[in-house]
Amino acid sequence: MGRIVGIDLGTTNSLVAYTDAQSGQPKCIPGPFGSPLCPSVVSIDADGGIVVGEPAKRRLLKQPERTIYSVKRLMGRGPADVQDELKLFPFRIDPTSKNVIRVRLGEKVFTPPEISAFILRELKNWAEAFFGETADRAVITVPAYFDDAQRQATKDAGKIAGLEVLRLVNEPTAAALAYGLHEKQRGRVAVYDLGGGTFDISVLKLISTSEGDIYQVLSTNGDTHLGGDDIDNLLQAFVHELILQHDQIDFSPHGELAQELRKALIHMKHQLSEAEAVMLRFPLPSGKVFTHEFTRGAFEALIRPVVDRTMGPLKQALADAQFKPSDMDEVVLVGGATRTPLIRRTVQEYFDRKPHTELNPDEVVALGAAVQANILDRGVKNMLLLDVTPLSLGIETYGGAVAKIIPRNSTIPASAQELYTTGVDNQTGIDIHVLQGERELAKDCRSLARFTLKVPPAPAGLPRIEVRFLIDANGILQVGAKDLRTGEQHSIEVQPSYGISDAEIEHMLEESIEYAEQDFAERQLIEARTEAESILTATAKALTNPQSASLAAEERARIDATVAALKESVAGSDYKLIRKRIDELNQATERLAELLMSSAVSTALEGRKLAEV
Amino acid sequence: MNTVPTSAEAPLVCWNCHERTLGTVFCSSCGKLLELPQGIDYFALFEMPRRLWIDMSSLEQKFLQLSWKLHPDNFVNASEQERELSLERSSELNDAYRTLREPVARVEYLLAIEGERKEGEKKQQALPELLEEVFELNESLDELREAKASGADLAGLKARLEAAAKSFQEKLGDVDGKLQAAAHEWDAALGGERATRERIMGRLNELLNRRSYIRNLVANVAKELAEV
Repeated sequence: MGRIVGIDLGTTNSLVAYTDAQSGQPKCIPGPFGSPLCPSVVSIDADGGIVVGEPAKRRLLKQPERTIYSVKRLMGRGPADVQDELKLFPFRIDPTSKNVIRVRLGEKVFTPPEISAFILRELKNWAEAFFGETADRAVITVPAYFDDAQRQATKDAGKIAGLEVLRLVNEPTAAALAYGLHEKQRGRVAVYDLGGGTFDISVLKLISTSEGDIYQVLSTNGDTHLGGDDIDNLLQAFVHELILQHDQIDFSPHGELAQELRKALIHMKHQLSEAEAVMLRFPLPSGKVFTHEFTRGAFEALIRPVVDRTMGPLKQALADAQFKPSDMDEVVLVGGATRTPLIRRTVQEYFDRKPHTELNPDEVVALGAAVQANILDRGVKNMLLLDVTPLSLGIETYGGAVAKIIPRNSTIPASAQELYTTGVDNQTGIDIHVLQGERELAKDCRSLARFTLKVPPAPAGLPRIEVRFLIDANGILQVGAKDLRTGEQHSIEVQPSYGISDAEIEHMLEESIEYAEQDFAERQLIEARTEAESILTATAKALTNPQSASLAAEERARIDATVAALKESVAGSDYKLIRKRIDELNQATERLAELLMSSAVSTALEGRKLAEV
Repeated sequence: MNTVPTSAEAPLVCWNCHERTLGTVFCSSCGKLLELPQGIDYFALFEMPRRLWIDMSSLEQKFLQLSWKLHPDNFVNASEQERELSLERSSELNDAYRTLREPVARVEYLLAIEGERKEGEKKQQALPELLEEVFELNESLDELREAKASGADLAGLKARLEAAAKSFQEKLGDVDGKLQAAAHEWDAALGGERATRERIMGRLNELLNRRSYIRNLVANVAKELAEV
């Protein structure tokens, strides 16, 4: 088994983190450019090569038709769900899309989980380069308000990337975990998380018990299509209009110029967190430079609708937890967008309390994921996370109404049993439609799955089938049925309304392994060679030490032989052979390593490798 | 004195080591997570008598204590069977806590396991003493809808509806008070005769139906008013 990591798969940026075994503290893993932030951007070369992160982001301007950002907005959604997004985002939805969206990138077509998998695989690579060993298991964070389909899509992405997803953790909960570890907070905590594309609010109770600390989520709410992106969209629409009026230039909303403008506006937005006014200068194709001064006040007036939209979910979450704003002991801000002074001020005024911002709002979710990964990996027994399902689970009843069977904010895992029977003689199936949402009519809720319960032919009303709906600790639905007359368990094939089938995932996984195999071998070779060099250097140095004279002749001969064998393997390109020879040399030099240490410490360091001494 | 079913009534056999076990969560012989004992109800799960007045803080403590033991986080590296069991048992625990923590859900559940919850045909039946008021309310609601459609002045109607809503809200409070009193009666009669207990359950059932009826009215009015 390889290493386990925590991953924040964000709309704008993604991060990977781990828990340091020595300090017990979570840490973010930096990428090749030194930053732990991997822009959630994917670009496809003409020859099919995949570029992820910073290099892909640079292509947004020059090759927008081969490059995609904010793909998280499409996860677990159907083509009909995203029509509004299409006006604002340059997604090229392929006309072959049915339930699952397919996005065109250059010559190829991908589902959102596949694109997310490219990002996850990149982060996996970062982690493997950092650890020098494989990372094959992960805790991945999702917005707390993600529905079943969006969660399933995220889990699928992990699978396609070759990761065993041990748990999906809600982003605000992850942030609370990271803060709890950092500050030893207690009491009632509200986490306000405004990211690139999603907004969550969670209310938690942190309880100290004799067994350890419990993080109990009491309520959660949010909007999975509200975030910093919306601020950018407002800015872009505003300036676009100004340019149209002043310079009569109406550029395509998704072309190169639009991307250029967006980039300039995001930069200006960041500056306005510090500065009181910023002069926007934007060169137009005509050679003219468009200028406009944005004051903090004008900026805030423009973006206020976004901030206002967070207030409804915020109030609902508090009401559901049966708290008033003043009942909260701590308020935590998470997500890059909470750097905006207007948002900080609004939250502070609402709670009448200064919110916590000590931990980097971009990193805190990944850090929390690493904490949970560590809990699951090591069976850490002094911390327990009790999360809730954000949306009520219901089933369609007569007349298109919805009967709620698991209310929102139920602690997960949660379940409900429903008893079904037949209405006519020899009826062989009962149609069941499962939904998620708070509205009363099925058409207003989110369809999760439809399936037909098979019933053995019998007189009407005689069959008694108990169907168990279970929401697991990831917030994902499982369905099982039991025939109460025979006691027989039925497995139910549930085809998710917006998901991809297991067979498709298998196929995607195979394809993605083909993509990845080559790079993986190359990376492994580089890493193995580097490690070989360091142990060869250490051995050569150790052999010049006078203590090495105490080696028996056959010990010395064995070391020389394994050194030669390792050097030979380094010249080749088989990383597995290099690794094997490294292990052999480590074994051959065990006694040498012991000799180099004083006998007093040697017992404590038994089993150490020469390169570590 | 009471009729709490405990694990002692049905000795458990561990699915793993096939030994008889004294534990209800973990096997006393091999330490594996046990299957949920057959026929155990939510009260028994929390090792509580079937009382309607519950000490919330001890309920919470017991919930947290059991969560430590049963949560799937503890079984990530365990066998498939144990993971399934943990999922099943922790969801049962959460369902039980959710039910017992809410006073009304608790009464409904108690009646269900005692076999005395009777809704259906009676549930939506209008309450005779409220007939007149409900009739007036429905009329006002109709007028409001018509006024909304024609754009007429709503202020007067709104005031009337708000007054009606307030009156029904008070009736709801009244029912809740009676439910509480009946719950006290139930607790006092817990070890008593079956006939007494059945009488109280009949009363509880009637109060629940009444409550659900009035609550629907209140919710309908609130919905219409919210749209004004």
